[in-house]
Amino acid sequence: MYDSRIRLWIYQQFADTGRAPSPVEIATHFDLTPDYVEWALHRLQIEADALVRIPGSPYIWMAEPFSAVPTSFVVRSGTRQWWGNCIWDSLAILALLGLDGVVCTACPVSGQPLLLSVVDGALVDAPGIVHFAVPARDWWRDIGFT
Amino acid sequence: MLLFRSEDDVLAWCEQRRLTPGEIFDPTRLWPLARAWYDDRLDPDWRRRPVVQRQAILDAAGFQGSFWRLIDS
Repeated sequence: MYDSRIRLWIYQQFADTGRAPSPVEIATHFDLTPDYVEWALHRLQIEADALVRIPGSPYIWMAEPFSAVPTSFVVRSGTRQWWGNCIWDSLAILALLGLDGVVCTACPVSGQPLLLSVVDGALVDAPGIVHFAVPARDWWRDIGFT
Repeated sequence: MLLFRSEDDVLAWCEQRRLTPGEIFDPTRLWPLARAWYDDRLDPDWRRRPVVQRQAILDAAGFQGSFWRLIDS
């Protein structure tokens, strides 16, 4: 019964703080046992496809489009900052939160910094070229690589 | 799903990894897809959209063709 509330709170924490709550923080917030929360996170990953935990760990890795671990995609709006899982997710963070801001990354071959800007809800500066290596039907087969 | 300086860099990245290049496009095409794909994530009653709806979002954003099929049809 708590799964939807836990999922939403995880997203709110990502949005507000740029990080994912730990299982203990979730348990404390909802006054639940850590075991209950670990099973809830398991259900949210396996049954609802709502998040991904770090392999072999109860900690959240990603709740798309947010990443709980540092990536090569930094999203900034004012003083707030998030990590995106990929270029698509990074733009999606600004879209989801309805914020103007920038996505900072670098070309993985040349190392050239690439900065995308969203102003007044529009992508106004978008250098570079996007590459999707994995066909859509396989996106969730190895989400870390995708 | 990475951003490169140029198409040559994409090809070099693929060659280094012995991968067949996937789909290459301008980042401006990604913005409407990013907006539509994730616009329900803060809904309290969120459920992952059925695959037919997700496919419709890809189609509407202009991502069509076999590479963009979520399921074989």
